[in-house]
Amino acid sequence: MTIMSQPIHAIGNAHLDPIWLWRWQEGCNEALQTFRSALDRLEEYPGFVFTCSSASYYRWVEEIDPAMFAEIQTAVKKGRWVPVNGWWVQPDCNMPSGESFARHALYSQLYYHEKFGRICKTGYNVDSFGHNAMLPQLLRQAGMNAYVFMRPSMGENPNIPQNAFWWESPDGTRVLTYRLPTGYGESGPGGLTRTLEFLRERGDEAGHGMMLFYGVGNHGGGPTKADIEHLTGKMKEAGFEELQFSSPDDYFSDLVLAPLNLPVWKDDFQHHASGCYAATSMIKQLNRRAEQELYFAEAFDTAAAKRFGLAPKTAELKEAWLDVAFNQFHDIFCGCSIREAYDDVRDSMGHACTVAARSANQAMLRFARSIDTWVEGVSDPVSDERRAEIRHRGIPSLFPRPVVLFNALSWEREVPVRVLYPAMGVETADHVPVPFQNVTASRFDNPMAKDTLFVAKLPPLGYTLYWLYPMRDLEEYPVPETAVAGGETADGLVCIENENLRAEFDPATGGIARLTDKTAGRTLAGDLPFAVPTVINDIEADTWAHNVFRFHDIKGTMDLVSLKLLEKGPARALVQAKYSFGRSTLLQEFSLTAGAWTVRVECKALWAEDFTMLKIPLPLTGAAPASTYEIPNGYLKRPCNGEEEPGLAWADLTVTDEAGQRHGVAVMSDSKYSYDCPVTDGEAEGGEPVTAQLRLTVLRNVIFADHCAQRPEREFNFTDEGLQRFTYEIYPHEGEAEQSDVTRQAYSLCSAPFVVQESYHQGTAPAQESFLRITAENVIATAFKFCEDGSGDLILRCYETKGLPCTRTAISLPMADAAFWADFSAHEIKTFRIGPDGRATQVNFLEGVV
Amino acid sequence: MPNPTFPIPLPAHLCRFSAFYPKHAPAVPKELAAAKAGPAEAEAVALALRDFPLPLPSKKKDYTCQAPGQDGAVWYGAKTGLTYYDPGAARLEDRVRYFSAQRDLPDNEVLALLPAEAPAENVREAVWVLTKTGATHITLRWTTPQEQAELLLAETLEVVDRRGMVSQRHLSVPYRPETKVPYNESDNDGCFTAGFAIGEMLHYAVFRRELGEDHPETQRARKTATRAAEACLLLMYMPGRGNGFVARTYMTPHEPIPAGGLYFRKQGDQAICVTTHNTLRDGIAGTIIDASAPVPERLAHLYKDEGFTGDGLVYKADTSSDEITLHFAHLWFLHTILGPADPELDQLARDAAKALMRHIIEHGYEMHDFGGEPTTWSKWSERYFSFGSLGWYDSCLNAAEVLMYLRVTMAITGESDPWQAAFDELIGKGYAELPALHHDRLVQGTMAMDIDPIEEIMFGDHMLATMAFWPLITLEPDEALKEKFRAGFRAWRGTIAREYNPGYDLPFHLACPDDAIDWERLTAWFGRSPASRLGASVTTARQDIPLRARWGGSRETAALLADDERFVAKYDRNPYEFRDEEGGTTLMESGYVYTFAYWIGRYYGIFEDQAD
Repeated sequence: MTIMSQPIHAIGNAHLDPIWLWRWQEGCNEALQTFRSALDRLEEYPGFVFTCSSASYYRWVEEIDPAMFAEIQTAVKKGRWVPVNGWWVQPDCNMPSGESFARHALYSQLYYHEKFGRICKTGYNVDSFGHNAMLPQLLRQAGMNAYVFMRPSMGENPNIPQNAFWWESPDGTRVLTYRLPTGYGESGPGGLTRTLEFLRERGDEAGHGMMLFYGVGNHGGGPTKADIEHLTGKMKEAGFEELQFSSPDDYFSDLVLAPLNLPVWKDDFQHHASGCYAATSMIKQLNRRAEQELYFAEAFDTAAAKRFGLAPKTAELKEAWLDVAFNQFHDIFCGCSIREAYDDVRDSMGHACTVAARSANQAMLRFARSIDTWVEGVSDPVSDERRAEIRHRGIPSLFPRPVVLFNALSWEREVPVRVLYPAMGVETADHVPVPFQNVTASRFDNPMAKDTLFVAKLPPLGYTLYWLYPMRDLEEYPVPETAVAGGETADGLVCIENENLRAEFDPATGGIARLTDKTAGRTLAGDLPFAVPTVINDIEADTWAHNVFRFHDIKGTMDLVSLKLLEKGPARALVQAKYSFGRSTLLQEFSLTAGAWTVRVECKALWAEDFTMLKIPLPLTGAAPASTYEIPNGYLKRPCNGEEEPGLAWADLTVTDEAGQRHGVAVMSDSKYSYDCPVTDGEAEGGEPVTAQLRLTVLRNVIFADHCAQRPEREFNFTDEGLQRFTYEIYPHEGEAEQSDVTRQAYSLCSAPFVVQESYHQGTAPAQESFLRITAENVIATAFKFCEDGSGDLILRCYETKGLPCTRTAISLPMADAAFWADFSAHEIKTFRIGPDGRATQVNFLEGVV
Repeated sequence: MPNPTFPIPLPAHLCRFSAFYPKHAPAVPKELAAAKAGPAEAEAVALALRDFPLPLPSKKKDYTCQAPGQDGAVWYGAKTGLTYYDPGAARLEDRVRYFSAQRDLPDNEVLALLPAEAPAENVREAVWVLTKTGATHITLRWTTPQEQAELLLAETLEVVDRRGMVSQRHLSVPYRPETKVPYNESDNDGCFTAGFAIGEMLHYAVFRRELGEDHPETQRARKTATRAAEACLLLMYMPGRGNGFVARTYMTPHEPIPAGGLYFRKQGDQAICVTTHNTLRDGIAGTIIDASAPVPERLAHLYKDEGFTGDGLVYKADTSSDEITLHFAHLWFLHTILGPADPELDQLARDAAKALMRHIIEHGYEMHDFGGEPTTWSKWSERYFSFGSLGWYDSCLNAAEVLMYLRVTMAITGESDPWQAAFDELIGKGYAELPALHHDRLVQGTMAMDIDPIEEIMFGDHMLATMAFWPLITLEPDEALKEKFRAGFRAWRGTIAREYNPGYDLPFHLACPDDAIDWERLTAWFGRSPASRLGASVTTARQDIPLRARWGGSRETAALLADDERFVAKYDRNPYEFRDEEGGTTLMESGYVYTFAYWIGRYYGIFEDQAD
């Protein structure tokens, strides 16, 4: 008989998907039933311990069945019921922003602390499909020091260590991690016996204890009587003395008491469901938008509350964040739930965005209305002659109209701003003219319907006033000259340019045939054009794309229908390319605004191609290709092997040119999360120049929740059919991606400034104000809010973006009378709590409350 | 971060000097009292600071007065200290400097400022400061790094030196070095003196190279280095047990003996265990042991010159690996720098190394005290490594230490046997792989305690790791082993690097030249170190530095303060330590924190003083 030398911790659990092949209401009921069952088992079997994650489930129970919730509280106090994973749900662990992970932790851990008197020590995402490389830091900042995961399996990625190991994020933070060698829901005597034998052998090989996860799952359930009795019986058998009912917390606590020599893993955990980062674009777009809008709203709500003595909307914004957090559940965010569930998802994300919009609007109007925008004469009577003149010229007003622009980002930036009416002049608050032009409006209220587009300079986390002149004598008006231009090249290519970049378009494909960085004197896209939309055959994979990691079966490139230069003014030049493919169309509008370092591409697709993926390739030739992807609070380099990769708002391909100089091109978007980077000509490892293609996956049109191998002939619902709007930008740069300005450029794309069209009034506030200043360009703010404990203290969260230690960064919050120095190590996230006297304390995601 | 071109020029920098006076002392200008700020001036200051572009050490509302400095600089007085703002300073962090009690001011309540109209040559600023309890004359003087090293050396020799040993010295009267008490043993005299000696040997080597052997400055440096080296060696011979046992420190008969610890008083060929709390508890007080091995005359002069004989000297036992590690590192430099021209000293060094090494090997890689048991902390044995969590954790450092001892012994004796066999034995037991596990074990150990790894850093271990790995990597001929040792040094880097201390960073660079170093911050450190190691308190409860809660309820600063604005310490304290109480002004520390780092940089051609 084999003697068990290492302990096996039996973890009774029930995997609960609140949405998947059912809607959330059923998921809620499933949680209630599962929790009842678990409590009953606890009553029946004195040694049994139940483990359960996801604060959102506990809150459902608290709201719907307070008596049962009280039973759970008692069980937690006794150590029989163990909450794990201090997050709202088990989210997708690749696509949420770093700030989203912070909010999962903040609201959930404070909830656990309030209700159970303890926070969770173990991160626990047993079903999530991939796990980003920054998670160790995100977990530690949330008060958790250990992690449990299952996917990808050994078959999907055998390089990740088995069993227990140290997982280290790029900043150097570590968590003790356990990779489930078996499933998360073993149940039934036969399966349990086999798994126990397997784990006994595995434990002996590893030299440390193992965990056995048992209990019916997915649609809830939990450990059955038979399961518990079987394990109890086993515990009495000779050779199973070290088998015990336990929890992940106890497993890790026991593990670290003995000397360990465990491997260290310094990468992410990929790939399991490679197709899910592009499927169901709607949820992806809503997530990116909600994350940005909530940051925006919260920052200005905080500033307004502080300035005007208002009650902050901390509670409302928390509920909005919780909507977002819930919808980041892995089966939702990954686009692999049923179609009906996404109606609910859209509604709740709409709620989050509406809360954000209302909060932001109230805050912005408070500021805007306190600025002095009075113009002498504006209230004087207007003569009939003058009135007639105005009518005759179709101009609505004699006086310049004030607009107040709000920037939530923590650095000064110059961006194109669009105001929904025409103007004949645009000036700063100090009446300095700025480049502008009137551009075609989306409305058609008159044949000349125009908007105004101008380039505005915005202060860091603050606002600034501009004046729009509806009526000017054009000959006298000094419109500033810029280098923005558009036209045809000598060889007949349509081109647009500004001070920094020049884009020339291929008349055959509509792609960018040459993209020149004027400062660096470098031209890209010489061999293959950029941004020719490419359709991929995706009929072999299911919604997750189980066992499919590459999407390279090209059906064809879209056919160019037309290519036109639509605009060339001092503020912007724009080329429109129209495409068709089968029953689908795509419009790409390429623009360069004055001073921009990116080519912006605004897209509208009407998609009807079943079982397809649409990719936008950016080919680059050079040696030593390296692809880099934004991950939560950082970036990660991955091999250019053509596998579909998750990423946040940007990805990059960098190569070495013939002179040995590194340079690259990044693509960033307002709503996408999926990329690949195949080498299409040459050997990536050979050291010789190769051609690689960075490809942004902009949509994936497969069947909702398709988990079957055989599809019958019938009409299905597809994840990305119909209208799709999205924007991406192309950013050429010198050096490595992380050394460039790519992270800030991507934030800038995703966080549009908000325009308040103000009226005329007197006020005491300055025409321009900034609420936050950070001296280091590689430290950016991701949260500015009030502390959750109601103390009135402020919370500011920042992180280092370039992987460079940044010492002696000066951070100032003038309205809080706070200014302090901070040191950031590479990739470090720091949260500061600022008291009423302006003194700062460094805290973690839990804001010093716990 | 690529390496810069060496040598990096180190420019002259502004050193702060404070002279303290009673308010009505004749030297204090009458105009100072007359300049006392009123409400109108406080209002003007508030207005001036409203949009101040950088963090201020005091709350804005606490500023009460201001005075112009040179070239657009401004002095701002507050209820909580003095601020100097120099908008022209090249580095952002040098634009705002903070002066606080009790190192720079007698107290923090600034009442009036009176700047000098024309500061003396080489003085950038001079200002009189009236505070609640006194007047202070503060100067900011242009000082080259070498001048600063010399200032600190002079202070150390004049105040701290105790028969060549340099740790620290208490003062009878605050601020007044001339009132130093005539005693001041330290548990780690051997360790601290060895660090000082290494710096001074490099100092001598630099002068010898640049000025020539016969130059008076070179000769002066040689004398200082030799004295420090002799003091270290004396501790290796002092116990006289004849088995290589090393003393932590020793005292003359007139010096008081601490109430705790293990001490032996030498008398003739014997030594008697002194009565202390510990020896009474353990029942060993009065135990007589052998002390017959003679102390070489070459070393005995250090106490004989002061009129003492060997009789009555008291040495401290229970010696730790801290001492042993620095002793061996020091022997390496002694042999390399002083040895060629001083064969007598070199021979003493070689004999001491062999005796000590033999002791360690013969006692199963432990240093055993008189009773046959290992000292509390000198254990490099497998037995210790496998006994409990402490040995398991310590093994990563201690394995590197003992391998370094062996490499140094081989290097300075030129002998292979029996040291190589011992080295090979330890390598065979996995000692080369242990160092790289340091960080893993730190993380695991702190996880078991449910705290973050940085909460449990033993700051004194940073110097031990540095002085273990640097010689070990330098002396190791086998490239594969060298790489393993580098992996061990790197395993310490995470916690060491956050100190931004050149005393650690320069040896790391020399051992791992391809690894990244923050050179800008490293070189800036030399311009922001205090020109005196008077261990006076400074105010760290500042408005411009966030604090961070630590395990157990204590706090630390969340950003590292400039060295001249935090408390003085050796290579053994948490530089982020937060203390909001006022400390004494009666302790002078050795200046080796500066001189050790500076002379390493100079000797290895990493930097040089900028010519102008």
